[in-house]
Amino acid sequence: MAEKKKAGSKKMEVKKEAPVKQEAKKQAAPAPKQAPAKAAPTTGSKEQPRIGVFICHCGTNIAGSLDITAVQDYAKTLPNVAYVDNYKYVCSMPGQEVIMKAIREQKLTGTVVAACSPRLHEPTFRTATKEGGLNPFRFEMANIREQNSWVHMHDREGATAKAKDAVRIAVAKASLLQDLFPKTVPVEHAALVVGAGVAGMQAALDLSAAGIKTYLVESKPTIGGKMSQLDKTFPTLDCSQCILTPKMVDVGRSPNIELMTYSEVEAVEGYIGNFDVTIRKKAHGVLTMAEADARGIVGGGCNGCGDCEAPCPVIKPNDFEMGMKPRKAIYISHPQVVPLLYTIDFDSCIKCGLCITACGEKKAIDLEQKDELVKIKVGTAVLAIGYDLFPIEKKTEWGYKKFENVVTSLEFERLICASGPTSGHLVRPSDGETPKRVAFVLCAGSRDNTGIGKPYCSRFCCMYSLKHAHQIYEKIPGVQSYLFYMDIRSFGKMYEEFYYRIQDEGAKFIRGRVANILEDPVTKNLHVYTDDTLLNRPVDMEVDLVVLAAAVQPSEDTNRTRKLFGVSCSMDGWLLEAHPKLNPCGTTTAGVFLAGACQGPKDIPDAVASAEGAASAASIPIHKGEVELEPYFAMCIEEKCAGCGMCVNLCPYSALALVEKDGRTVMEVTEAKCKGCGTCGGFCPGGAIWMNHFATPQIVAQIDAFLLGGEQ
Amino acid sequence: MARVKGYPEALEKKLRDQRYYREDSNPEFLPKVKGISRTIAHMCYQCGTCTGSCPSAPRSTYRIRHFMRRAVLGLENEALTDPDLWLCTTCYSCTDRCPRDIAPTDVIMAMRNLAFKRDIVPVNFLKTVQAIYSSGHGVPNNDVNRAARERLGLTRDPPTTHMYPEYVKGIQKILDHYKLKANADRIVKEREG
Repeated sequence: MAEKKKAGSKKMEVKKEAPVKQEAKKQAAPAPKQAPAKAAPTTGSKEQPRIGVFICHCGTNIAGSLDITAVQDYAKTLPNVAYVDNYKYVCSMPGQEVIMKAIREQKLTGTVVAACSPRLHEPTFRTATKEGGLNPFRFEMANIREQNSWVHMHDREGATAKAKDAVRIAVAKASLLQDLFPKTVPVEHAALVVGAGVAGMQAALDLSAAGIKTYLVESKPTIGGKMSQLDKTFPTLDCSQCILTPKMVDVGRSPNIELMTYSEVEAVEGYIGNFDVTIRKKAHGVLTMAEADARGIVGGGCNGCGDCEAPCPVIKPNDFEMGMKPRKAIYISHPQVVPLLYTIDFDSCIKCGLCITACGEKKAIDLEQKDELVKIKVGTAVLAIGYDLFPIEKKTEWGYKKFENVVTSLEFERLICASGPTSGHLVRPSDGETPKRVAFVLCAGSRDNTGIGKPYCSRFCCMYSLKHAHQIYEKIPGVQSYLFYMDIRSFGKMYEEFYYRIQDEGAKFIRGRVANILEDPVTKNLHVYTDDTLLNRPVDMEVDLVVLAAAVQPSEDTNRTRKLFGVSCSMDGWLLEAHPKLNPCGTTTAGVFLAGACQGPKDIPDAVASAEGAASAASIPIHKGEVELEPYFAMCIEEKCAGCGMCVNLCPYSALALVEKDGRTVMEVTEAKCKGCGTCGGFCPGGAIWMNHFATPQIVAQIDAFLLGGEQ
Repeated sequence: MARVKGYPEALEKKLRDQRYYREDSNPEFLPKVKGISRTIAHMCYQCGTCTGSCPSAPRSTYRIRHFMRRAVLGLENEALTDPDLWLCTTCYSCTDRCPRDIAPTDVIMAMRNLAFKRDIVPVNFLKTVQAIYSSGHGVPNNDVNRAARERLGLTRDPPTTHMYPEYVKGIQKILDHYKLKANADRIVKEREG
């Protein structure tokens, strides 16, 4: 452990900025065509542009809503257009062949494809352009599907006119496009996983098994996440802890995983392949054996014996048990924690020092410990920051936190769990009696458009409520369960069969969303009001215990963490994937991937599957050893640069700096860091910044082409 | 109709109900209801929260969820001729709790509007109209009330048209503008002779 730590920290200290730039320059050198562009980035080459325009039918997607022939005839009249063609599917192999053939035979200098969104097929057509013999960046796309035929489906004339505009604008830009050459940067042979729930653990295990040094950062003192709080898992009914703890132990033992619990990501800098991440290791107050060793305390450090816990006079609710069990100010959440290391809750510790006495010769406790900032360098990162329960007390009609015997599903998990506060005996919180009638309220806060709940389906509540019903039948003889549901969504493998099984065990399903719950003030029993929609009868059912299958929402820290990594979120706060179907683990930030429920509600199988996907995706750039960056970076036209430095402060990616060149102060771009956002180029008062592929003359030409309506 | 010849009328009616989606449904009904109620009546997913919240439902045959369903399917005749339409107390509990953020109460009010246009309205509602026309109150003050008010230290009549009868004329003007009184009188006369 000590050796591993040292090796890790050594790497952390090395600042690896220089090789990136060197590499970039090496790349640039053998590309002779770039030199003129760099020297005089004005309006590109002197040759007369010859542009080929290719109009795609996309079956009837485009051809069904606009007049392809009219657009084609129009395109022929545009300046610089040397060749126009159309094809049923330009993205198909024969369609691409049309482009390649035209480039060769017509000696084109640029291509325009009028088809779908560049998000779909820009790479395809770039490749075709390259294989035809041109630089791939001599290609421009006109979107006449998503932004045209699909939205103007019933306006053929208007759509055709708009397509003509789009083609004209694209041709104007294509005429001025220049050759560009992507840079490659080396990728650090290490990965970061944020969040050590089941998804984060799986991602870290996969990455480490692939031979990648993996930093696993978890904000809680122990790994395991929500899954470690569950009693059993559907539909197999295996004990959650029993299947999770082997993984936790693996994580703790894997030599490639550097586990950083009770830690948070503080800052992220850099880009794919070279993220510089600052981690805040919160003060545990307790030394690991390795830390003790480093301080010269031989044979010391926390071994998890628990001697410190007994004398501690401070009692606090244990979050792991949903506050239903006490813990001390020095604590472990549960007996199977990994790492087995006590933590001092400094918010409640009174620093009496009794624990230090109890710890004795091990000298593991340091009440003066401070937070520590650690810098690491990684190539890629996986976010697995999970979910939280929606604060269901906000739906006041169900009386959570108002009526004692209304509990959430996570509280139910602890109450039914053998290692929970009641040793697995399900009791009513009001009187400790065993409930005989239990109501499960499904869609509690989910599928709710009122603005107080969540509009989405939380996906796993149906299944765990079925499992809860099973668990009470297993443990309480003569018990009756009622599941108040709108739809039972048993969508997964063996899930419908599980539904069948639970119904067979005697669970009663009442199709009606619970309207409200009232408490009998004497017995503390609850009256559940709903409409049995299938019987068409209002229901007032008296039960002993109500379990709310509360909606889930992104975890508390999601917003802060996602901003650090530049990851977007959807309207409901879940982290946004690059493409919901075709790139479900990636994000719009290269090198950052998503795993598990931070992306949207996921049950355990889905979370683990997505974690394996994310780990695989995150390992690809690392194994490749280098990544290609889009050559859209800014360039400084040094003769025009006044060295004012305003752009340096504006750059959101810290890619710019002022340097001395030939006795003048000029700006210099670190190309690998630049994302081509254009902030500097748009601002520069001297017009000294040239944005590759989005250069001022190119954009002005587009605007002119649009405003002049082709009348040049 | 030959198929059900000889069956009692009630059965014939029941069988007719099964074909709602072909013959009985009026595609204009839902847009009309939405236009008047200004709520997204078509978004109902029949969860039953409205009926479960309804203070009228456990005491009557009134099922607001049914009216929502009829709105979605355009069952105009069925909705407007159902006497239960008039059992809503407009307490707005369903509107408070509807997870789809629909206002079922307003749907009911819209349907009552449409029903009144076809003279489908219970006589007691029309008598309320007449009471408002003559006194300005749906439930006019009476001696028991007056005594109770006095005991509470209030004026015998509230500061409404009861205290200021000269304003009744204004109310009458409004009701006359909408021909509410004339229609009420006409329908009551038709029913009661």
